[in-house]
Amino acid sequence: MPETPALAPAVRTNLVRLLRAAYPHPSFPDGPYERTADHILGQLDESLWHRIALTSGLESLDASAQRSRGTAFADLDDDAALALLRGIADAEFFAFIRGVTVVTLYNDHEVWDLLGYEGESYSKGGYLHRGFDDLDWLPSPRVEEYDGPERLVEVAPDDVPATTSTTGGR
Amino acid sequence: MAESIPELGNPIAHDEEVVVIVGSGAGGGTVAYELSQRGIPCVVLEAGPWLKPEDYENDEWAAFNQMAWLDNRTASGPYRVATDFPNLPAWIVKAVGGSTTHWSGATPRFRDYEFRTRSHYGVVEGANLLDWPITLADLAPYYDRAEKAIGSTHRHGRPALPANNNYKVFANGAEKVGYKFYATGPYGTNAEPYDGRPASIQDGFNFQGDKSTAKWSTAVREVPRAIATGRCELRPSSQAVQVTHDARGRADAVLYLDAEGNLHRQAAKVVCVAGNSIESPRLLLMSASSLHPDGLANSSGQVGRNYMRHTTGSVYARFDQPVRMYRGETMAGIIADEARLDTSRGFAGGYYMETLSLGPAFLAAFVEPGSWGPEFTEVMAAYESTAGLWIVGEDLPQESNRVTLNPALQDQWGLPAPDVHFEDHPNDVAMREHGYGRADMLYEAVGALGTHHTPPYPATHNLGTCRMSERPEDGVVDQWGQAHDVPGLYVSDGSVMTTGAAANPTLTIVALAIRQAEHIAEQLGTGA
Ligand SMILES: Cc1cc2nc3c(=O)[nH]c(=O)nc-3n(C[C@H](O)[C@H](O)[C@H](O)COP(=O)(O)OP(=O)(O)OC[C@H]3O[C@@H](n4cnc5c(N)ncnc54)[C@H](O)[C@@H]3O)c2cc1C
Repeated sequence: MPETPALAPAVRTNLVRLLRAAYPHPSFPDGPYERTADHILGQLDESLWHRIALTSGLESLDASAQRSRGTAFADLDDDAALALLRGIADAEFFAFIRGVTVVTLYNDHEVWDLLGYEGESYSKGGYLHRGFDDLDWLPSPRVEEYDGPERLVEVAPDDVPATTSTTGGR
Repeated sequence: MAESIPELGNPIAHDEEVVVIVGSGAGGGTVAYELSQRGIPCVVLEAGPWLKPEDYENDEWAAFNQMAWLDNRTASGPYRVATDFPNLPAWIVKAVGGSTTHWSGATPRFRDYEFRTRSHYGVVEGANLLDWPITLADLAPYYDRAEKAIGSTHRHGRPALPANNNYKVFANGAEKVGYKFYATGPYGTNAEPYDGRPASIQDGFNFQGDKSTAKWSTAVREVPRAIATGRCELRPSSQAVQVTHDARGRADAVLYLDAEGNLHRQAAKVVCVAGNSIESPRLLLMSASSLHPDGLANSSGQVGRNYMRHTTGSVYARFDQPVRMYRGETMAGIIADEARLDTSRGFAGGYYMETLSLGPAFLAAFVEPGSWGPEFTEVMAAYESTAGLWIVGEDLPQESNRVTLNPALQDQWGLPAPDVHFEDHPNDVAMREHGYGRADMLYEAVGALGTHHTPPYPATHNLGTCRMSERPEDGVVDQWGQAHDVPGLYVSDGSVMTTGAAANPTLTIVALAIRQAEHIAEQLGTGA
């Protein structure tokens, strides 16, 4: 393959901005978005078509930001960036970005921390002694099967076939 | 004796006529164990590798990429999976142990009426209903044996698992809306040490291989024990590509590819196909011959048809306090109150509700595929305070829901890839809507701030594509799972299910496999 020219720095800046607008988590720092952007950009080497679509897609976002707001896409506020993205929701490059983001951003261990997910626990002895049942805002429920007087009616009386008599609750 | 047996079992000659079992999951692993215990030689051909507990990944995507069946497949038809996951109609494992390595463990039995849906539901337009050729009474003794093999909690003296966080929300909600028939099981993971395996450490990874081995799978029980008899050889990374028959029409061998793509032939006295409900019909369709021009065992035209995937849906509820649903056993919570026949609810058949939890990685991919923007991040941001449940109910068999060979796509070996065509029956839609509504009530009763209705995932329960029938013209196999039109050919997995019932299928697959193995042993004259 011939050398492909390096991507302009604006591509990454715009992509990070796009990710923040499309997947807004005010509590997240830039790190997870930047890592996701880098992962997306890393995949462009494998597909010339995605590279072309993504570069021109981001350029077109810049162009429409300039047209409608007189500013670069990266400088739009959240609402304006989101509105612009809603307008191109079906564009192929945006679908590609979303497809990678959804499996990358939320697979980022810093994001797991931010969302309160602790992941693998086997090496620490599981959650058995680390809070698997620490929810305390509801009473402790029964874990055994019901053994009271009621019976589960497996077949409602109206649904018992006329020809058989062997059905119903057991 | 055990010391001298090689890891994959005593070798069996390729020209020795043995029982050849295709697939080592719930069905195949069980048949291998039951037959080899009786001294009957078996060869198990398994397309995937033999991964051990120390190899299992406790990370959602890593585990999925390690073990899921990712060979080319297509999904078609109007169901959403075909749009969102066009190459992933099902989540099935390709490894020794099959999908029992990734299963979670819910083990309810089928109900009596569920073996006779044609009699109970009558003629339902668009549905290809049929009564099973067997009844609950026929299967009951085998259910007992299957529950003991799996070690189901709440059964045969096995204690209940404790309540984890997700269950606490689920069970309190159930109680508030008046449900009675809820519990933490029956569930195929040890609450206390049993059968040489330890008690659960509540590590939260069930849809992945269980590193602790507290969870039953054929990879930790049936397959190694079959090998230990000295009568079973396991051949991993060996994919069956054709079942052949002799001039009289009796199954006589299986052709398979090794990891390098070399073709081998294993002679067979009996062939048991247990590749799960997409690969089993695919293998039969690829085994067409002059005697069986439309595919082996397909005189009825029913091979690949009546594909069922259960009527499913998930509900994720947000609270103002932490839940941490991911801690502990994923599916150790079952409500059975809706698992009954009462057409006044607007649909035939019933459904269970079961606790369910995904990590952020899978939740993001599956909670609302394709969704983005603030409505999506609101769901994700609430992760720590989210509780989840799964609706799993009977879907109706339809002839047009079907596994076929896709002429336009091949797998890595150049063989036609399977296409899975599916459309919900209106009864399925009505049941799912009812389930969503009940789940909302349940969670609102314990203070949910909001709920999200998640559409069905790629199918984990795949059933019905080689169904059992009394009459040869109605189905593919008889009550023992033997093909109506090919002596010596058995189907030993969930594809034999005439109808799917509400219950998760594995306990029933294992019970049917134990019953089938007993029958095969009798036929071979070795006694039961
Ligand atoms: C995430 C998840 C959770 C689940 N939870 C539950 C649950 O709680 N309760 C329940 O009852 N069920 C559950 N299931 C479903 C359960 O795993 C399956 O119903 C069961 O394992 C099916 O058994 P089987 O023998 O039909 O197929 P499998 O167990 O899938 O085994 C089929 C095997 O055949 C192999 N194979 C296929 N084709 C070939 C070929 N041509 N040559 C050689 N080998 C081949 C495959 O590699 C595989 O190993 C779950 C499944 C998943 C994925």
